Order: sequence, then C-alpha cells, then structure tokens
Amino acid sequence: MDFSQFNGSEQAHMTKVIEKKQMQDFMRLYSGLVEKCFNACAQDFTSKALTTNESTCVQNCTDKFLKHSERVGARFAEHNAEQMQGK
Amino acid sequence: MSFLFGGGNRSVEGSVDPAKIEMAVAELDMITDVFNRLVNSCHTKCISQNPNNHRYVEGDLLKGESVCIDRCTAKFFEVNKKVGERMSAMGSAAQATGSFGR
Repeated sequence: MDFSQFNGSEQAHMTKVIEKKQMQDFMRLYSGLVEKCFNACAQDFTSKALTTNESTCVQNCTDKFLKHSERVGARFAEHNAEQMQGK
Repeated sequence: MSFLFGGGNRSVEGSVDPAKIEMAVAELDMITDVFNRLVNSCHTKCISQNPNNHRYVEGDLLKGESVCIDRCTAKFFEVNKKVGERMSAMGSAAQATGSFGR
C-alpha cells in the first residue's frame, strides 16, 4: 500500500480507519482463539471446572498460536518487502 | 518545520478523495483477509491437524513447526500467485470470446 499518493487529511482519515480495523481484528482474533483452544483442549465433561491438563493445554494453545501468528507475520512482511522491491 | 502556520499545530491540508480512500480500504481489507486465512491454514497444516482434539505439550513453537510455517507461507504465496495468473488468463480469454462460462 502506497501512502505517498495521499495528502494530509487523507492520511489522517486512513489512520483512523486502520485503528478501527485493528481493534476489530483484535476482537476477532481473541474470540477465534478462545474457540480454537476450547475445541482442542476441552475434552473431559465429567466436571464443570477445567482439569489441570486442560488448563495447561489452554495456556500452551494460546502461547503457541500467538507465536505462530508472529512468525507468519514476519514471513508475510518479508514477502511483501520482496514484492515491493521487485516492482 | 512549517513556515505557514508558526510553530504550533499544523492543520492538515487538502480534502478527502472518497474514491481513493475506498480503494485503499478495499486493498487493506483484502490484505488483512489474506493474512488471516494464511494464519489459519498454516496453523491447521503445521500445528494442529485435529482441531477438535489436540494436546499442546508446550507453549513455544517446536523446531519442526517453525520450519513447516516458513514453508507453508512460501507455498501459500505461490498458490496465491498461480491462482491469480490463472484467473486473469481466464478473464482475458472470456473477454476475447465475449462470454464467460456459457
């Protein structure tokens, strides 16, 4: 995305738009992750409380997903940078 | 340093072009969508093949998972490029014959 074509007020507008989208994206990430880790980890319904194993599983699931997302983000940014250079 | 408005807050210049903004927003949405799909696809392929029952042994990425993620993202972009090429080829073929899928 090339911001050099935008004047000052357009840039300000885009900044606000981007902020709002980042907020929405974060909420989506959060609820998606809850569902993912629930589906993967919650298996034992003999009690209402999470077992120790399930609890550890959820922690690991969350940490792993966030690290995964970070790594994908890095590769994505590298790829985009290469694309920009190629043009 | 602005010489027009003194040392204080510089007011933004220019007006907002709605068409340009709309295109930029559409591009941003597309990039975000591609990124989210990429994250989810590579998570399924590299980390948790069974979304309904997976035992996460640790919170850090395993070495194999890291390598898989790198390769997965590379392949995803290649697929993206191939599909784009194919679709634009089909698009121009359709334009040449004057029809689309009929």
